[in-house]
Amino acid sequence: MGAYRAEDDYDYLFKVVLTGDSGVGKSNLLSRFTRNDFSNDSRATIGVEFATRSIQCDDKIVKAQIWDTAGQERYRAITSAYYRGAVGALLVYDVTRHVTFENVERWLKELRDHTDANIVIMLVGNKADLRHLRAISTEDAKGFAERENTFFMETSALEALNVENAFTEVLTEIYRVVSKKALEAGDDPTTALPKGQTINVGGRDDISAVKKPGCCSA
Amino acid sequence: MAQSSDVSSVESVYFPIYSFLLYYSPCCCCSLPRPLSGIPSIKDAVWEFLLGCYDPDSTFDERTKLKNLRRYVCTVILDCSNHKLTFEMGIREQYAAWKEECKTMVPVVGSGTRSLWLLFLKMGNQLMNLLLKIKVSSSKTLLKTRGSSPMDALLASDRGFSAGLDVARTDRHLSFYEDGGNQSNLWDVLAIYTWLNLDIGYVQGVNDIRSPVIILFEDEADAFWCFERAMRRLRENIRATATSMGVQTQLGVLSQVIKTVDPRPDQHLEDLDGVEYLFAIRMSMVVFRREFSFLDTLYLWELMWAMEYNPNMFATYEELEDRNNNNNDTADDPKLLKRFGKFERKYVNSGKNERHSNTIAVFVVASVLQTKNKRLLKEAKGLDDVVQILGDIAGNLDGKKAYKEALKIHEKFLKEANRQ
Repeated sequence: MGAYRAEDDYDYLFKVVLTGDSGVGKSNLLSRFTRNDFSNDSRATIGVEFATRSIQCDDKIVKAQIWDTAGQERYRAITSAYYRGAVGALLVYDVTRHVTFENVERWLKELRDHTDANIVIMLVGNKADLRHLRAISTEDAKGFAERENTFFMETSALEALNVENAFTEVLTEIYRVVSKKALEAGDDPTTALPKGQTINVGGRDDISAVKKPGCCSA
Repeated sequence: MAQSSDVSSVESVYFPIYSFLLYYSPCCCCSLPRPLSGIPSIKDAVWEFLLGCYDPDSTFDERTKLKNLRRYVCTVILDCSNHKLTFEMGIREQYAAWKEECKTMVPVVGSGTRSLWLLFLKMGNQLMNLLLKIKVSSSKTLLKTRGSSPMDALLASDRGFSAGLDVARTDRHLSFYEDGGNQSNLWDVLAIYTWLNLDIGYVQGVNDIRSPVIILFEDEADAFWCFERAMRRLRENIRATATSMGVQTQLGVLSQVIKTVDPRPDQHLEDLDGVEYLFAIRMSMVVFRREFSFLDTLYLWELMWAMEYNPNMFATYEELEDRNNNNNDTADDPKLLKRFGKFERKYVNSGKNERHSNTIAVFVVASVLQTKNKRLLKEAKGLDDVVQILGDIAGNLDGKKAYKEALKIHEKFLKEANRQ
């Protein structure tokens, strides 16, 4: 697969945050993506945790630095400090608990208050495997994502459904924005941006909700 | 004065309490639940003393009476939770009856009941308010949709219902919690605590503190009181506002300690934009439950409690005016001074009466960071590396070693601080 590469071998480093209510499955989405692992015994995240994984976009290696934050509101004062510099976000809700979807709006505001305006956000409805318990329809969530101009996907960390796609799509989009910006500036993106530095998607690119999954393969 | 880094002197504080309990307290022979078999069965009783549940000078009879009263208060609260109380029963009448009964128990118990009595009144008020509120919004539906009792409704007011979820995911690897009854004990203790501490509410992480207590105590009410006392030490850490969390104060002290003892790692962390040591937050919030094994954590807790032991704790918690804050007199009396834990004694001795925030936990965090110093200095090129290096330590540190190192750091810190 070529998905798991040597740690320091990368062309781009993107910071991505995982947010959303407590117990929606953020930590398991992260462990599924970075270690292909799911734990039934996972505990509440205290503060922040962290993992990385590199994927390939075109001929470039993109390293994702993914920050997993505590879901409880009480921790916001602390977790929001970690939003700084994030160029992507997966805003997770639980498709079986309506309240976690209701709170998405507040998380979105939180994200937009603390990050760059061009951050790539994906709304992620996790626990899609619990079909008989579903409380939010795909259409409702999709409609919300379109209105808010974010990407959208339903996932199951348990069944490894769409987890790869969700992260890859967000990373691809960031990559697309960054390389396009660099091209417009007439620079070779690889030399313009020093290795190991977090990249800000600072341009005026319009990141729309209906972008198709692009060039990346994990 | 290097002799204080000697752990045996810690144990000289710790073990007399053990032996005292072994010889004089017939109540401590309660058997331990299976997961902790092999540990002396007096552990629960020792914890009660270390945490200030009882007056160290109390007799067995006095403690029994106080224990019964405390159990009674818990029963009342749980009765409300378990729906034995309904609107139709007339809660005012029911509450008045409880109050009467509680009142008759108070004079029997004697000292140490003022706070319990106040607590009982406070509980009554909150109960009334909540039920009235629910009644006003005519939401029997609220009860139905958000939980099965007023208490559940209260906890459900926590946005996202994290409390219930967290109970289900606390220490699931321990066979103890395969028993649904034990999990419901966890829930009850959580509910009562949240109920009585609305200013703090439910904070993720307190389950990690509560779980060992539940395992240790057979009686749910006893577990609650022990937990309540343990939380007194942590309350300020978990207090949160929109812009800050109490734990940040402790992290500030940590930064001071590290800076004083060895400025290199502090400078390095600052260069990496260490965001006020927030990466160390988990250690402070759940007091090492995630960094050390279950048994090593208990070992660390007990050592910390013994080192910080203050014989006036009970009087302070129970708001007994005459016994409160008499640390000043203590400083002159070597006999009284000896009753304090070694760490606490130093502060009493220096005449500092105010609560000091450099608790021993800060030095244990510093010692954990120190074990990673080399890697942090060499490998950490960003905050992500710091979090990753510290993330690697989950569950595989040596409690004893960390503790010895913490005492050394404390010595060094005091020395450096005095020099400056």
